[in-house]
Amino acid sequence: MMESREIQSILPHRYPFLLVDRILEIEPGKRGMGIKNLTGGEWFFQGQRTYPPTLLLESLAQVGGIVLGSKAREENPRGQFVGLFAGVSDFQFQRYPVMGEVITLKVVATQSLASLYRFAAEVLVGGEKIASGQILLSFVQNPSEEPGRRPAEKK
Amino acid sequence: MLHYHPGHSLGDANCIRRLNITNGENAGWAERKKWEELFHRLSYPFPTLMVDRVEEVEREKKIKAIKWITANEFYLAGHFPGQPIVPGVLTLEGMIQSALILVGESFSRGKIGGYLQKVDRVRFKRAIIPGDWVEFLVSLTGKEGDLWTFKGKAQVDEETAAEAILVLKVMIREVGFEL
Repeated sequence: MMESREIQSILPHRYPFLLVDRILEIEPGKRGMGIKNLTGGEWFFQGQRTYPPTLLLESLAQVGGIVLGSKAREENPRGQFVGLFAGVSDFQFQRYPVMGEVITLKVVATQSLASLYRFAAEVLVGGEKIASGQILLSFVQNPSEEPGRRPAEKK
Repeated sequence: MLHYHPGHSLGDANCIRRLNITNGENAGWAERKKWEELFHRLSYPFPTLMVDRVEEVEREKKIKAIKWITANEFYLAGHFPGQPIVPGVLTLEGMIQSALILVGESFSRGKIGGYLQKVDRVRFKRAIIPGDWVEFLVSLTGKEGDLWTFKGKAQVDEETAAEAILVLKVMIREVGFEL
């Protein structure tokens, strides 16, 4: 199990964009299962009580980032790595999670090609599957550039 | 009368001509207010409108909307500290909201709801950083019953930053009067 402090040592995300609370099961590089509690005080619950579907995708991507990041940590405890959200495929929402629920975020690595990693992702609430699809992350170890830095402008 | 907002770095004459700002001082604000109200009527679960201006909208066809990105946006504090990059999912949110505004504009009466049923072929291609302005280009590509399919693109400086296919379930929740 991995608590928030350890999660924050792997992910660079912080408030208001750290969208996973705890990792319950993890096989570095292969699969992970995390949870996020949806409580009334959160910024996206202003005037409504539904967890926005786009943020649900981000939660899953962050669990994926932890799966890849913890593998990189295992291989090289001091190494640097950069993960970025690269895409989503065929993702269906049966319903949206609401305030007061605990969402379970499951990801399983299915394929990797160069620095791109594909995951099968699933969101459950109390055992009921409410959304599923595939997410794509790009993950680079020992990057020569800072994350998100654009390639030099063309002149 | 054409009112030019100095904060909105619209250098070339074409950009200025395309905006239909006509009623002086509060036009920009009033226009945003209008889209905000339309967006809230669609009861989509996101607290804020991720679109600053709608430049073109053609009922049941396509929409072009713009969002300016500034370092002052609250979510950039955590994504990432000291290195602000607009989260890809919020770019996706902008495309979804543009599609919803298009749905809202396509009905002249009643209360409409939009439910995001599916996203597919989403690709985040380029980082968006403070100082950029993002164009959301969304067009309706198909309708099957209450499912509307859209193709969306987010552009920065004519370069694709993200693309997506969106499927919205459009519900008429109340048959109302002319809005």
